[in-house]
Formats: sequence, structure tokens, C-alpha cells
Amino acid sequence: MNLNGMRTYEQDDVVDVVVVGTGAGGAPLLARLAERGLRVVALEAGPNLAPDDFTTDEVEAPRINWMSERLSGGDAPTAFGPNNSGWGVGGGTLHWGAFAPRPDVRELNLLTEFGVGADWPVDHAELIRYIVDVERTIGVSGPTGYPWDPEREYLEPPVDRNASADIMATGCARLGIRATDAPAAILSRDRDQAHHGRRLASRNLGTIHQGERFGTKATTANTYLPAAIAAGAEIRPDSMVHGIERDNLGRISAVVYRQNGQERRQRCATLVLAGGGIETPRLLLNTGLANSSGLVGRNFLAHGAVQVWGRFDEQIRGYRGYPSALISEDFVRPDGVDFVGGYLLQSLGVMPLAYATSLVRGAGLWGNELVDALDRWRYTAGIGINGECLPAENNKLVLGDEVDEWGIPRAVVTFTAGPNEQSIDAHAIATMTRILEAAGARDTRVLARTCHTLGTCRMSADPGDGVVDADGRSHDIPNLWISDNSTFPSSLSANPCLTQMALSLRTADRMMR
Amino acid sequence: MTNHDGTIFFLPGLGFGSASAAPLAAALGDRFRVVGIDLPGHGHTPDAVDGSVSTLADAAVTAIEAEADGGPWLLAAHSMGGKVAALVAARVLSGHANVFGLAGVVLLAPSPPTPEPMDDDTRALMLSWAENGPLAEVDARKFIAQNVASSLDAAVEQDAVGQVRQMSPLAWQRWLNEGSRENISAAVGVIDLPVVVMAGEDDDDLGASAQPRLLGAVYPRARFVSLPATGHLLPYEQPHKLAVEIVRLWESTAAASPEVDPEWGRVIASHRTGAEERSLLARRAIADDLNYAPRALSPGQLATLRALADRLMPQPEARRIDLAARVDADLASGRGDGWRPSGLPDDTSAYRLGLDAIASVWTDDVAQQDALIRRIIAGELLTGAPWGGEVFGRWFEDVRNDLTRTWLAHPASLARIGYDGFATSGPGAEPAGYVSLGADVRDPWEPAELGALISDHANRADENDDSDDPGTTNNTGQARKENAA
Repeated sequence: MNLNGMRTYEQDDVVDVVVVGTGAGGAPLLARLAERGLRVVALEAGPNLAPDDFTTDEVEAPRINWMSERLSGGDAPTAFGPNNSGWGVGGGTLHWGAFAPRPDVRELNLLTEFGVGADWPVDHAELIRYIVDVERTIGVSGPTGYPWDPEREYLEPPVDRNASADIMATGCARLGIRATDAPAAILSRDRDQAHHGRRLASRNLGTIHQGERFGTKATTANTYLPAAIAAGAEIRPDSMVHGIERDNLGRISAVVYRQNGQERRQRCATLVLAGGGIETPRLLLNTGLANSSGLVGRNFLAHGAVQVWGRFDEQIRGYRGYPSALISEDFVRPDGVDFVGGYLLQSLGVMPLAYATSLVRGAGLWGNELVDALDRWRYTAGIGINGECLPAENNKLVLGDEVDEWGIPRAVVTFTAGPNEQSIDAHAIATMTRILEAAGARDTRVLARTCHTLGTCRMSADPGDGVVDADGRSHDIPNLWISDNSTFPSSLSANPCLTQMALSLRTADRMMR
Repeated sequence: MTNHDGTIFFLPGLGFGSASAAPLAAALGDRFRVVGIDLPGHGHTPDAVDGSVSTLADAAVTAIEAEADGGPWLLAAHSMGGKVAALVAARVLSGHANVFGLAGVVLLAPSPPTPEPMDDDTRALMLSWAENGPLAEVDARKFIAQNVASSLDAAVEQDAVGQVRQMSPLAWQRWLNEGSRENISAAVGVIDLPVVVMAGEDDDDLGASAQPRLLGAVYPRARFVSLPATGHLLPYEQPHKLAVEIVRLWESTAAASPEVDPEWGRVIASHRTGAEERSLLARRAIADDLNYAPRALSPGQLATLRALADRLMPQPEARRIDLAARVDADLASGRGDGWRPSGLPDDTSAYRLGLDAIASVWTDDVAQQDALIRRIIAGELLTGAPWGGEVFGRWFEDVRNDLTRTWLAHPASLARIGYDGFATSGPGAEPAGYVSLGADVRDPWEPAELGALISDHANRADENDDSDDPGTTNNTGQARKENAA
């Protein structure tokens, strides 16, 4: 994005706020604080990219992903790299899927409803007000008259359905399952974005996970960050924070970072960590800060993201069009089940190498069977879930023995699906298989997957039960805040990005009190 | 639509037009389409705007773009054309030319990217020939005679003389004063392509003994062929030997690697595909080096990985990608996938340890190989393995994934599975993406095998009035935004 002419600050200036990270957690807050007149600096580990820097090529596209190695253990090791981790000004919103459902009120009250997990110390109606603000700022398209929330209004009409969405719609209709066009942060009409410029209506590109160059997909780099720059914020790319300094009272006084091989230090009155569910706890564990609860890195949550693919006679070629154009919320709280929580359904089109990796890792295919499955890819339509996840003792992030290129110990993330996650998966697999068969699938294949990195610095009303309070402020250090998905007390079945942007605005408002 | 195996684009030397490709074309026969190119000021083509090699390369690229059919091709170039060819190859590999399918380069006594060695007397004499307009017959005849080891057949010589006399004196002067003296090394860089360099033993500055020194660093995969009793005019002196080498290069490159259908090649070549994406696909389509020396693994480990690749990602015997070599190059580049299973060392160390463990229990029996693979995937403990069964299985999952993605990234594999999304990467917003999204339909620019055009579809539906299933037809228009409530 264009950083020319932005206001800059000296390292010895005590700026009002330093924000670490420019994705869904950092950017909305940065813009709001700057608009309220605060002197704010954002530090982004990755580079500043122009839209033409993106490539559709799946081998080269990870230039927008965090590729410094993380270690994954457990029965369902989390795949990082192209999945789950952003790199560059815009953070994870550069590669996100733009699937933008709102959280259901029941999902914020898991403990109250089921007696397990945690409740959100956040009022649902208040969160929705912030979400509506985000939807209008970034441009979320969707169907007005949403089946599960008839009052809901989207200002942008839905984007086109692809063949995968058509298949899912057919199957759902035949089974009496409600399904509709998915809310998506994809423009269906051209739009002039304040402080950014023209963003173009959807070209039905299926390559949005590789970065999208026409501004059709909302990222923070084409929405909140230009607004932040216009309001006087500074964004420093290529700046990896690895240290935090405190004064005699224990309050944060500066951050230490490396930029272009140089050690730098920025003084600040307040620090906001917005590096996401891996980098924020890694930094806190490495500095030993804000962990009186012992919960930094604990309660790691990953959404169940199992997929079922059906083979049809027609060429589906789901790589065309917005990949997840259809949604069903009928299973957010399914009837007659013995598990906690539920899941969202979405139609799926994926890119070829991503699909191949799922065949290898998620279905164990190799040899001629793998080649056959790849040959049939063009005839397959998929459905996937975003399934809730409960915290578990052994699902966590710790620091390993090995250090990365900045001298920080690498993250070791352990994840094993528990009985509840397995039950959700089994139910979802049965549902998706029925839908595909109702739509005429000749055969189906299950591909195991998880997605997202949540919960590692969760928010709580009780200081002993989380790392930050309901506003995002550290229970331990009053001028330290966290604004990213590490604060999620529970996973939700709604994909996290939209909710995260709303929480980011909310935290900014709380900081101004 | 084509009845030849491939195309040979021929860039002639100074003084010669497209007609100088005729002896080679005759020697090659019907198997190849030989397209001679008139560089500016040569043959029937007018002079260029200036005398730079870059301008000559522009003209060559334009001519190749116009004649290319999307199928595989070799670039053959003689003398001055060799210098132009270096720039053309660099542009093609960088994606900045709307062509696809370059499989290799055949250079004939080429002028190097550096200033061409030429003594001042020779240059002065040659310039004097063109001082007053087109070369006189006597000078043209002298030029030919000075550049051959033994006299050409009279008819052939007459044709060559005619071409030299036809060329523009300005182009002649520009090459001698400017083009031959330019240093285009930085723009050319290193051309990592299968290349054959042929030169005569009786040639002077650009002869067989000089070429390895002039070109070795530019073309690391070059094979140098020395032709006895041969001067500088290889296309006229030795067309049959050139043909033999071209066929040999073809057999080891285009004919030995997976075939990209010309219809798909044309989509990659088109403006719908971005330069970077075209470059990546062009480089992946290049045949692997048969003499590849591993950079991360030992030769033994590479052999084990090749044997594994044959089972994990089977390919037909005749046309193959050296998946193991490509994975080795990736490992050596240090580029990972952003994570690794805990319990494993860095990727290269893990590959070395894991492959050594597999080698110690590997047999030549395919059934036993497959049984071993199944045991590893099931997480069984392997005798002598560096890690427990589960961790070994996770490393092996990385191996399977690396080999699979390497295979699939090749343009022939992408075409095989029906993926043309790379053609949504071109510059500019119009056209960029897809209009037809439904099952069994395609946009007009897409390969025909991918479906029917919407217009055909609509006509059929009108005739039969049977399009009542929203899941299979009419998926791209409006009127389908209803909730399936």
C-alpha cells in the first residue's frame, strides 16, 4: 500500500501507542486511535506490498504468509505457512478467505449454555454494533433477509455463485436444509474507498487466498490502514519486535525491534500486541510478561475444518469464482446431538496445490490412487465446516529450544482433537455427505483439516482465568493491551476475522476512556 | 491442429535473411516446422529504429509471437543471431514475451553477450564494403569465401550472396559499430536452459575453441560441439550435422518431458497470464538436467528419493519430471513451507536422515517397496530409523506432499487436471477473471475441453427446455439468488 508522505515519529518520541501487527487485530484499532488524535506507530514484521506483488501461483504466493518455521505436534498438527499466518502490511487479511459470518449469540455463552469452555465477557449486541460498523467500512456483501437473522441487512448484494455453491444449494434444497449466499468481504460493485481509492467489483477470481490485486477483497491494506495513514499514523514494515522494555513501575516504556538488520527501540506510553494467536503469546513468553495467570500459550483452539468432496459427472471446476459462495447456519446448534457447540457449512472451491496437499495430508493418498484423485478434481464439489473447538489441557503453545532468524525461540504448537471435536466432525461429515449425495454425487471423500489459531491469550473477567480483561487490557500490566484472535475465549463457529476487526474497534474505544 | 512435433525458430547471422534457414529445414524434414526470421534490415524487413541488440531482440520476439502455435519450440541462432537469441531467451524465461514452450537453444558459432572479439582490420574492411550502399557482388562473395572452410555448392553460394547483397547497409554498419560491441551480459544473466553450442574448428574468433570461454558462464547447461573442417557459416556448411544435433536436443528435452497441449500453451502465452506466472510455468516446463548434481542431498540420497518418487507420484516412463532433483533444489534454496512436525530437525537434515533409513531397507521389488511405504504411513517403527514410527510417518507425509506439489506445479500437470486459473493473473482488470462459473460451461478463452460456451448451452436448453435442475445448468446468470429455504 502507499506509505509515501505518511507522518513519521522519532524513536525517542514517546508515542501514545505502538501497535505490533497490521492485520485484523491491529489495523482497525490503529485507524481509530489515529482518528481520535493519538500519535500511533504500527510495527509490521513483513514487508509493505503493492497489489502487483501478489501472484496467483501457489508455489510463490506464500510471500504473503509467515514462513519462518513453527513446530507442530499432537495428533492433528497445525499446518502453518500458507494457512493461518499473514506476512506483510495487512497481516492475515492479505490471504484470508473473506468469509464473513457474524457470531451467533449462543456462541458467546458456551459455559453458560453447556457448562464447559468459557463465556465471552462481551455483550453480543454491542459486538454486533461494532460488526455492522466493520461490514460497512470494508464492504461485506451478502443476502438481505438472512435466513437465521431476518432483520439483517447487507448493503452489497451477494457475489456470484460458482458450481460448488450450486451443488450445495441443490443438495440442501432437496434435504430441507436452509442455505444461502454467504456473507463475504468481496465487493459485488465497484467502490471508492476513503483514503484508498477505487476498489473493483468481483472478477470471480478463485485465487483470493494468494492475494487479490483489484481491491475486490477487503484487506486492512485497502481499508483501515489507508485511513490510519490519513489520520497521521506511521506504519513501519520489516520491523520484527523481539523485546519489550518496562519502567521502574513495571509499565511498558518501549519496544525493541529489528528493522533491515538494525536493532531499534521505540518509546511508547501504551503498547498493543496484535500479532495473532501465535506471535503474540510467543513474544509474551519470550519476554516473560503478562503471565501471572500462567495462561499465555494455553487454551490453543483450532477450528474443525473437515471437508467432504463429492464427484459428479459434470466439470465443476470450483477454482472459478468466490470459493465459498454458499453458507448454512442450520448446524450452529444442531438438534439431537450429544456434543457441545456446532458448526457452519460453506461450499468449497480450492486451488489445485491446496487440494493436492489435502489429499496427501488429509486423506493419506499416494501413488496411482493419488493421481486418480487429482484427475477427478475438476469433477468434484466440496463442502467444508468451521467447527467449534473446546479448550484442552495439552493443546497449547510453548517455546522450543531452537531459535529463529531473529533469535527468538520458535513456537511449538500442540493440537489434538478431543472427543467433542471428533463428535462435531463425525456429525458434519455425515451431514455434508448427505448433501452431496442428494445433489447426485457418485462418491464422496473426506479430507481432514483444522484451521485458525485462537485462544492463546484469552480474555476473562476473572484475572486468574485469562490474560486480558474484557476490553483487551492485560490483567497484569495496565498499559499493555492485546488486540488479536489470541484473546478469543471460545472459538465460535463463525470465522474469526470479521469478529476480530469488531473487537479491535471496541478495544480502541475502551483505550480512549 | 499441428502435424509437426515442434517448431524451430531460426535467427540468422549478419547478412542473412530467413532464407538461410532453408538448408537446415531441408535437412530436418517434415518432423519440425522451421521458421526463419528476417531481423531488421535483413531479408525483406526494414531497418529498425536503432542499432541496439535490444531492438533486434524486440523484432525477433514479435516475429516469434506471431508465428508461435503454443507448442514446444527450440530457438536456433547463427552468429549475430546468437547474441540476439541470448536476449530473446532471457525475455521468454522472464515471462516478458507472449510465447510459451521454449525447450532449448541451439547456437551456431554465436556472437556472445559480451563485445564480440573482432580485430580492427576486419571490422574496417567490412565497413568499407557498405560505405556506398548495398554490398557489391564481389565483396559479398569475398565475405562468404572468408567465412567457409571449403567452397559452398555454387547454387547455395549464389543464394547466400544474394541475401548478403539484399541487406540494408545501415543494418550492416550498425551491427559492426554498435550491436557487436555492446555488452548485454547484465540483461541476459544466466540462461538455465538445455543448450547446444556448435562451432567450426576453422572459424576464427567465434570458433569451437573460443566458445566455451565466451559462453560457459551464460549457459551453464551448454554442451559444446566442435565441427572439424568447418568455418563460420554453419547453416550452409553443415546443415545435416545441425539437424542431427537439433534432433538429439529435442529427444532429450521436449520429447522427454511432459507435453503441454498447444491449446494450453496459447493460454499461458496470452495476455491473460501475468509475466511472473508465465515465467514460472515456462521454467517448470523445461526438461530436467540428466546430469543434475544434488545440492542438498548426497547422490545416494537423491537416488533413493527418485526411487520413492516413482512409487509415490508415478509418471509414464517416456516423459518425466525429475521430481527428486526439483525437491533437492528446493531444499538447497532453504525455502520451507512455514512449519515442520515437532521432533524433526530442519528439512534438509530430516531428508538426509529419513532417506538413509529408507535406503537401508529398500529393495528392488515393487511389491515390497509399496508394502514398506504403507508401513511407514501407518506409523510402524522402521528398523534403524532416526525417529519413532509416528514422527517418521510425519516426515514421510512432508516428502509425499513435496513430491506431489512439485509434480502438480508443472504446466502439463495443471493442464491435465483442468486448471487454467493462472490465466487470471494478467495485467489490468479487463479481462481478468471468470464470467462462466457453472458446471460444464467455460469462457471463450478457456481450452475447449473444459466445457461448452454459455451460448451453446443456452441454445441447447432452449431447444430441449429441460434445464430444470439448478445444480447442473444455468448457473452463471442472475435469477438464482433465492434462498434454498
